[in-house]
Amino acid sequence: MAGAEGFVEADNAEAIITRIEHKSRKIESLLKQCKPVEALKTALEGSPPKTQDERCKSANWIVVHRAIMAIKDVDGMFSSLDPEYYDILMKYLYRGLSTGDRPTCDQCLRIHEKLTEKAGLGCILRCLADTVNTV
Amino acid sequence: MAAIAVHQFAQCITCHAWSPDHSMVAFCPNNNEVHIYKLFQDKWEKLHVLQKHDQIVSGIDWSARSNRIVTVSHDRNSYVWNQEGSEWVPTLVILRLNRAALCVQWSPKENKFAVGSGAKTVCICYYEQENNWWVSKLIRKKHESSVTSIAWHPNNILLATTSTDGKCRVFSTFIKGVDTKDSKVGPSSDSKFGEQILQLDLSFSWAFGVKWSPSGNTLAYVGHNSMIYFVDDVGPSPLAQTVAFRDLPLRDVLFVSEKMVIGVGFDCNPLVFAADETGIWTFLRFLDERKTSTSGPKYGSQFSEAFGKLYGQSKYGVSNDAVESSRTRGGVHENCINCVVPLREGGFTRTTRFSTSGLDGKIVTWNLESQEDLLNYL
Repeated sequence: MAGAEGFVEADNAEAIITRIEHKSRKIESLLKQCKPVEALKTALEGSPPKTQDERCKSANWIVVHRAIMAIKDVDGMFSSLDPEYYDILMKYLYRGLSTGDRPTCDQCLRIHEKLTEKAGLGCILRCLADTVNTV
Repeated sequence: MAAIAVHQFAQCITCHAWSPDHSMVAFCPNNNEVHIYKLFQDKWEKLHVLQKHDQIVSGIDWSARSNRIVTVSHDRNSYVWNQEGSEWVPTLVILRLNRAALCVQWSPKENKFAVGSGAKTVCICYYEQENNWWVSKLIRKKHESSVTSIAWHPNNILLATTSTDGKCRVFSTFIKGVDTKDSKVGPSSDSKFGEQILQLDLSFSWAFGVKWSPSGNTLAYVGHNSMIYFVDDVGPSPLAQTVAFRDLPLRDVLFVSEKMVIGVGFDCNPLVFAADETGIWTFLRFLDERKTSTSGPKYGSQFSEAFGKLYGQSKYGVSNDAVESSRTRGGVHENCINCVVPLREGGFTRTTRFSTSGLDGKIVTWNLESQEDLLNYL
């Protein structure tokens, strides 16, 4: 029984990876068209993947990371990013900060400051308190 | 000002309760005692000190009609206090818990009281005439963690609980010989003692502070993730609404009417939530004038120092100023508010006054009638 469940999970994971690959291609083309905010929205959509599979989470993080690093104008980004994305973006900012990579942390902190102004401390609390839907 | 009376009673207050005529207040000053104060002209005077518990008193409730005080403590015991002459006489209630008791509330008919505990159980206590003894019946199953808050439905049968496993549950507490059949209404019509009517799985973090609306049609509770949950049609197919807000999490809630809820917590300032004509709940504003919810780096809370560190020394100065100015602007509470109690007069459906207490040791009485923009919701 446990084996069967494991198989389903793996199958599910493959499907998610395929979707993320598809998303990645879409983001690359959006970035080529100089639409970094559209790329970020695409990256954040459908995440966190509804699985505990670390491979899927990592794959999605790579895609989101690509979109976050492409953001040049942080204020401009928030003028066109809807509030529904705030909570999930915050989760990925903390994932970015946890990498310890200098350019990633710099970029995440820049966005974090603006996001906190926009979404308040409640947004941070929702990110820290949620131990189930991790990214 | 929405706050009409402020008094510093102690360094820190864990919980408080008012006498039936609101002339006396009982509170625990963060130790094993319960102090009862009475207001003489303009001065609060200490009348009694109830000393029986061995550890911190975590819950006090003062029944409105029978004038009895029930207290629970981390020492795992509960006492019911009856006033005989000028003395308060305790009766021990053995809860049969192996962890701290955390909260207590009299049922609307005052023939039962419920205790939430760290032992993953809820005790329903009732008085047995023939033995002259309070009996505790336990709801042992279902809770996977500490029960942080409890709330009685106005029908005296249903009990809502919140727990640190993130869930809100509704139980039947029908006790043969105590409750009569005709007092059973709605979804609880054929449920036995301890039967779970509903489990709400909305929060992924600790849940605190549950309350029913005056009619018992709506349930509200809060999560430690800065969310508040509103549930209509409590029964087989509940309708839930989730409201995320931009400030620090809440610890307790209070329905002042069917359409307005006051939330208190780590932001040191009561939050007002209201439902519009279509029943959609939103965050309205802070009750205290201190803060407006404009954007900008105004982290006026204990979070500020951590934020200063996060953003480097230059920003530290800025956020530090924000704290100073918020204090001088006259925020009434200076620390987390963890208890909100209604001051009901006459009718049950409308509350215009309530009191809050918290870790700053103050008890603050609030009046909503001076708040013109809120009157529509009362």
